[in-house]
Amino acid sequence: MNLLQLAWKNISGNELRSWVVALCALLVAAFALFATLLLRGAATSLELAAERLGADIIVVPEGAQTEMEGALLMGVPAHFWMPEENVAKLAAITGVEAVSPQIYLATLQDASCCTVSEMFMVAYDPQTDFTVRPWLDRQLPGGLGLGEVIGGDYIFATEANDGILVYGDLVRLKGNLEPTGTGLDQTLFFTMDTAHRLAVVSEMRAVEPLNIPPNQVSAVLLQTKPGVDTEELAVEIYRTVPGVYPIQSANLFQSSRTQLKSLLSTVVIVMALIWPLAVVLIGMIYLMAANERRRELGVLRALGATRRFVAQSLLAEASVLAFCGALVGVFLAVLAIYLFRRLIMVSLGVPFLLPAAGPLALQIGIGLLLSMASVFLAALAPAIKISRQDPAIAMRE
Amino acid sequence: MIKLEDVTKIYDLGKGSTVTAVKGVTLEIGAGEFTAIVGRSGSGKTTLLNLAAGLTRPTSGRVTLDGVELWGLNDRQQSHTRNRTIGFVFQFPSLMPTLTVHENVVLPTTFSSNGHKTNAHERAEAMLERVGLSDKLRSYPRQLSAGQQQRVVIARSLINDPQVLLADEPTSNLDEKTEQEIIGLFHELHRSLGLTIVLITHTRQLVAAGMRSVEMANGVIVSDSAASG
Repeated sequence: MNLLQLAWKNISGNELRSWVVALCALLVAAFALFATLLLRGAATSLELAAERLGADIIVVPEGAQTEMEGALLMGVPAHFWMPEENVAKLAAITGVEAVSPQIYLATLQDASCCTVSEMFMVAYDPQTDFTVRPWLDRQLPGGLGLGEVIGGDYIFATEANDGILVYGDLVRLKGNLEPTGTGLDQTLFFTMDTAHRLAVVSEMRAVEPLNIPPNQVSAVLLQTKPGVDTEELAVEIYRTVPGVYPIQSANLFQSSRTQLKSLLSTVVIVMALIWPLAVVLIGMIYLMAANERRRELGVLRALGATRRFVAQSLLAEASVLAFCGALVGVFLAVLAIYLFRRLIMVSLGVPFLLPAAGPLALQIGIGLLLSMASVFLAALAPAIKISRQDPAIAMRE
Repeated sequence: MIKLEDVTKIYDLGKGSTVTAVKGVTLEIGAGEFTAIVGRSGSGKTTLLNLAAGLTRPTSGRVTLDGVELWGLNDRQQSHTRNRTIGFVFQFPSLMPTLTVHENVVLPTTFSSNGHKTNAHERAEAMLERVGLSDKLRSYPRQLSAGQQQRVVIARSLINDPQVLLADEPTSNLDEKTEQEIIGLFHELHRSLGLTIVLITHTRQLVAAGMRSVEMANGVIVSDSAASG
């Protein structure tokens, strides 16, 4: 019989105590992993989305900032317009490297002419575009032709031959972009030519026509020249182009970042309460268990167990329980995140991207270690205390 | 074999209160002797046994086992000496409740660093057969009578082939018939294995002819049949 076998015998022989300790380990691991997965997933998602836009500044009509973020983050259709002449005005400002207009559209709600209801759609200008084009170059070197679309990660074809019905027109899904965990995953991208064809076709085949106001665009994406201070440029844009609001990409998703900060604070507070409580509770359980087993441990010492063996047997018992509890805890946390990520995104108003296998494994490892370290730490003091006791005194009533 | 020289044990009860359990006791027990330590409850018998086994540190005096001073050893050496040399039979139920009878008997070999680990299972079976419990290998202590449990404890005490068997009132919780059986078993082990046995009892009835008898009262030895001849 070795140390682990002896520990396992004690675990199975004291079911209630074992369940309580394992449950504490489960809670610590599950909460720690769930919280870090959620926060890191949201932060990664925000970074990816901002990075994917590739613009230093996004210029939208004044008052449309929130709607813009909602569209990018959650895929909520955006409806705002500004004069197309703003594109030239913005391009003329000193420090601007490139500008590219975009038109934001949406499919109809519950209409037979659109297979996907209220889907956010982005029409870009292939001549000036620098945001959609880099992704397309990697996947579709020829770019998108008339009637061709590319979708976010969640978009899939619903009709034959990779078709999706949009305003009665069957567009062809040429591919999908990598996931970001944001509204971009539920967005359809096509050229402005396709947008205008959709508008024409919709007149005849759609429940309602697709309205694209003439000489209007929704937003202008802007790249700065190297070395230009984007903040100063944003101020200059605000001053010289009336009726627009420049959003710096560093300030993009500010409300979500604030939301994340507040979530992080909540998590830290809850963790700061749960963790010491769990450690104290487990410590008390082990102190009671060590007292209850005082005589038994005294007998072990009489039979030839060293102080170290007695301490190790208690710690081995705690570690086995912690490992089992934490393993179930991390499994439940990952399962909950995987199953309810959409619900969490909507209810918390933050985007989320499940980490790749490597970082996920690392986070699971950290969750397991944290939980095991908590139980080990809690059991350490009782284990040392009981192992140092005089065996003769330990065996007395 | 076991030598206690001017040994005193004072227990600290806290708040400045102390109790002297053993006062300046000198006792030598030779190899192969069967010694009974008798005395009333509270006379210091159990403390004397614990001192002899190195289970408690004397406040003053020396305890040697086979010429080696126990308290000159570190914890690992002391534990190893106990494991290798001494078998214990306690007054209270001392089997591990979560282990089977067989696992309980094998348990001391877990702490052995010598050859006792090899064939431990076969030897455990042989020991259990010797105490008449070969059919209870897979039973748990709670499924056995008090007498059967003490037999298992005796089997456990013999698993590492000790030179000394220390028994602290091993029959105090048993009925008279079982008590006789257990004491008979000790005599049989003394005869067949040549063990040094120290048996603590509060009743003189268990002291048989040929046994050395040491009587304690108030922490001191008041009579010793070996000394009186």
